[in-house]
Amino acid sequence: MLVDFNFRVILEYLPLFLTGLRSTFLIAVVSIILALITGIIACSCRISGIKIIKYPAIAYIEIIRSTPLLVQIYFLYFGLPTLGLRIPEIQTGILALMLNSGAYIAEIIRAGINSVDEGQIEAGVSSGLNYVQRMRLIILPQALGVTVPPLLGQNIVLVKDSALLSLISVMELTRCGQTMTSERFMPAEAFLTVAFFYMCIYFCLKALADWSQRKLIFREAY
Amino acid sequence: MIEFKNVNKWFDKLHVLNDINLKIPKGEVLVICGPSGSGKSTLIRCINRLEKIQQGQIIVNDIPVHDKSTNLTKLRAEIGFVFQQFHLYPHMTVLQNVMLAPVNVKKLAKAKAEKIALEKLEQVGLTEKSAAYPAQLSGGQQQRVAIARGLVMSPEIMLFDEPTSALDPEMIGEVLDVMVNLVSEGMTMCVVTHEMGFAKKVADRVLFMDEGKIVEIGNPTDFFDNPQTDRAAEFISKILTH
Repeated sequence: MLVDFNFRVILEYLPLFLTGLRSTFLIAVVSIILALITGIIACSCRISGIKIIKYPAIAYIEIIRSTPLLVQIYFLYFGLPTLGLRIPEIQTGILALMLNSGAYIAEIIRAGINSVDEGQIEAGVSSGLNYVQRMRLIILPQALGVTVPPLLGQNIVLVKDSALLSLISVMELTRCGQTMTSERFMPAEAFLTVAFFYMCIYFCLKALADWSQRKLIFREAY
Repeated sequence: MIEFKNVNKWFDKLHVLNDINLKIPKGEVLVICGPSGSGKSTLIRCINRLEKIQQGQIIVNDIPVHDKSTNLTKLRAEIGFVFQQFHLYPHMTVLQNVMLAPVNVKKLAKAKAEKIALEKLEQVGLTEKSAAYPAQLSGGQQQRVAIARGLVMSPEIMLFDEPTSALDPEMIGEVLDVMVNLVSEGMTMCVVTHEMGFAKKVADRVLFMDEGKIVEIGNPTDFFDNPQTDRAAEFISKILTH
């Protein structure tokens, strides 16, 4: 079986895979940053007491979480142009990943905030700290510890989800595999190579996660 | 100094404060006791508006606490609150815990806030623990830090919600000692507690609550030796014989 495995073709297609890797990496980085911003904003709205920003945030989060990412991508890619809004596929893809991950990140942050003991808030209230001060000084530093690991998990999901962008012909890693398959009909070589590169990204992110676990997170026990 | 006027509060259908009328003059030490669920914690939590009330008025230093226009930050800075479970900020050192409010609420310079904070830590006998984190302290030490955190804003009133109930028996003394010291400084104090020794020793009045009502209020000697109601007599006999 391994005898039939054609390494030469992989080498031949390596430049293509490297551009795919680069493109996946850039899409992921941009999407992650935008998704974080979206998530923070959505979460702030979600936990606020003001109804006109709270309910739209709930609607956004629930709509995203209740529908498949592929449907969201197709809606943005095929649906929006028919409604008169035309954006290039890469931007469409980034928009889809941002909106999708943003909703999950909003809920991850909210869970982190809710995990902080009510007594901490009461202690802050009793000292005369206002809402923003309580958030900044008491709640968020403690929420960070429980938020960072699932947040990095969500980023890993986002990287793998970006493979779906191949379906709207964004030239990223998976799309490179498809290209090689259609040109040479070597799906095993193509997709194993694709998988290998995803694994590389995964282990980089995982190393980052482990590092942040050690460095960033406050631990109560010593 | 603190006045309750016809205060009523409900948790859904539970009438947790039932027509409370009460005046606490400056410098008084009031001990509040009663069976669990009688509304004693709720009573003191209303004083700095950790709880809302539905009817009546609470006035602290001529300020109506439950008015919408009240500057709560200023009011709360004048009232120290000590919780049963301490609620120290676990991600900050002891000193940072105590300095947080002076720096952020009173906007004091760090150096000045630190000086005051260290004074208060000395008052509770924990200067040497200022760089420790709460998790490294015993329960009694944590509660003393919590008291210092309340005192650092130079409040006129200190509220204590069962300050010794979460402590091991051997640590209760050190916390009570700090509180007795406060009494001698003339602090106005409301203390929810079952420490009857403390009540007998320093309380000016003892308030006994049951089912949201003030059942009895009077000086400690009268209350313990000669309770006016059967309910209070039964309660006293239970906590003194256990």
